[in-house]
Amino acid sequence: MNKEILVIGGGIAGIQSSLDLGEMGFKVHMVERLPSIGGKMAQLDKTFPTNDCAI
Amino acid sequence: MLDVGRHPNIELMAYTHVERGEGQSGDFTVTVRRKARYVEEDRCTGCGACAEKCPTVVSDAFNEGLGTRRAIYSWFAQGIPSTHTIDPDHCRQLNGKKCGVCKKTCQADAINFDQEDRVVELHVGAIIAATGYEVFDPSIIPEYQYKEIANVVTALEFERLLSASGPTGGHLDRPSDLAIEADIEALEKKAKRSQRALDKFEEKYDEASPEFYEKYQNGEYGHDEDRKKWASKYGAHMAIAEPLEALRRRAEGFAVAKRLAFIQCVGSRDFRFYPFCSSYCCMHSIKEAIIAHEHEPETTSTIFGMDIRAVGKGFEEYKVRGGNKSAITYVRGRVAEITEAPDHNPVIWYEDTCERRVKSQEFDMVVLATACAPGKGIKELTQVLGIKINEFGFLKTNPSQPLDTTRPGIFTCGCAYGPMDIPESVAQASGAAARVAQILSEFEMRKAS
Repeated sequence: MNKEILVIGGGIAGIQSSLDLGEMGFKVHMVERLPSIGGKMAQLDKTFPTNDCAI
Repeated sequence: MLDVGRHPNIELMAYTHVERGEGQSGDFTVTVRRKARYVEEDRCTGCGACAEKCPTVVSDAFNEGLGTRRAIYSWFAQGIPSTHTIDPDHCRQLNGKKCGVCKKTCQADAINFDQEDRVVELHVGAIIAATGYEVFDPSIIPEYQYKEIANVVTALEFERLLSASGPTGGHLDRPSDLAIEADIEALEKKAKRSQRALDKFEEKYDEASPEFYEKYQNGEYGHDEDRKKWASKYGAHMAIAEPLEALRRRAEGFAVAKRLAFIQCVGSRDFRFYPFCSSYCCMHSIKEAIIAHEHEPETTSTIFGMDIRAVGKGFEEYKVRGGNKSAITYVRGRVAEITEAPDHNPVIWYEDTCERRVKSQEFDMVVLATACAPGKGIKELTQVLGIKINEFGFLKTNPSQPLDTTRPGIFTCGCAYGPMDIPESVAQASGAAARVAQILSEFEMRKAS
C-alpha cells in the first residue's frame, strides 16, 4: 500500500488537486508535459466573471 | 502555481512524459521520462541572460505563434519552474552548428549540451489524470477562412493580444498590421545593410549616390568597373527602399481594432465536428469583449450566437452588464460566411433570426470562440494507463462516481473529463483529491483492523 500520488497535468485542475493532497499530508508527484506548469489558464489575461488576473 | 513549486509535499516534474503504468489501486508503478532540457535545473536561476543572447528566433507557442522566442527559452515569464529549456529542434549547437553563446553567457554554468533524458520509476497508490483539453483548430471549417483572412483569430490568440504580457503589450493591433510591421522591420534591416555599402562608395568618390547614379545613367563614367558595382548596389538599394517607403506610408494609417465580432460555437454544437456544448465560450467571449472595451472605450463588440449560455453564479449579470456598459450587441444567428473587404477587414454574412433577414457587416477583427476539443495526447495516455475514453474523446467516467475513470485508483478532473470553466475545474480538482484521500485512507483502515 503506497500513500504517494501521481498527478498528470499541471493545469489549474492538476494544481488544485496537488495542493489539496499536499496540504492533507500526502506526497504528490506532479508531471507536466510542457516546460512550465499553468496550462491553458496561464495563457488567459483575466478570468470571468470577476475580471481577476489569471496568473 | 508558485505554491506548487514551493510545497514540501509536492515534487514537480515539468517537461516530462508518462511512458508506462502498471499495477492496481493502492500500488501503481509508473515510468516517466524527464526530457532533457540541456539546462541543469538545480543551477539555472531563470535570469534569462541566455535567451537575450541566443541568435535563433522561433515562433512562440505560448503566445499562439503571435510572438517570437529564442531557441533557449522559458515557457512564459512567470512560469514555474523558471528553469530555461533549449529547444532541440532549433538550437544551433544541438544541430551540429557552431554556437554555444548561451553557455558562454550563463553565469550559473547551468547549460549542459550533453544532458540526456532521465527515466524515473514512481511508486504511487493513486493517479489523477488532469490532462486538460486542446483548442479546436478552426482551419478545417471552410466558411470561416481562418487561415486565409489574417484578422480572423481564435479566442486564445485574442487573449494573448489583450494580455499586457503578450506580444503586443495589450494593444489590439491587428494581425494583418503586425505582419506588415514585421515586413517593414525585415526590409529596414536589409536597407541598412545596403546603405552601408553605398556609404563606402560615397566616401571613396565624395559624391552622393543619387547624383552619381544619374550621371552614370547618362554615360559620364564610361566602363569604370568599380562605378559599375556602385550603380548596381544603388539599384538594389532602391529596390528595397521604394517598397519600404510604401509600406511605411501604409503603416501610418494603422489603428487598433475597435469593431470586434465574436462568433460562437466554432466547432462545437456542430454535427460536422463536436456535437457537445463547450460550456465556457459564451462567457469567454463576453469577458474578452468587456476587457477590450476597458482597454479602449470606443470599442464596440457584436457577439453572434445561437443563444448565450450564461449558466453559473453571477454569469447572467455579467452578460447584461457587458451589454449595458461595454457596448456589446448580442445577435441571435449563426454566421454563414466570412469574406474579406479591402484593408483586410473581415465581413460577416449572417442570418439575423429575429428579423429573418440575411445581413452582412464589416469588422476590424473577428474572434472565433473555438470548441474545447479532447487533448491530443489523451488517447496515448489512456493506452498507457489502461483507461477508456467516451464517444467524444474525453475520459470515460461513471455517472454515479463522476471522478472515477474506468480503472480503480485512477481519477480525473478538469477538462480531461469534459469541457468546463475554471471554477468548475477547481471544484472538481478538490473532489478528485478527496476521492484519492478517501481510497488511500480506506486501505489504511483495512490494514489496521
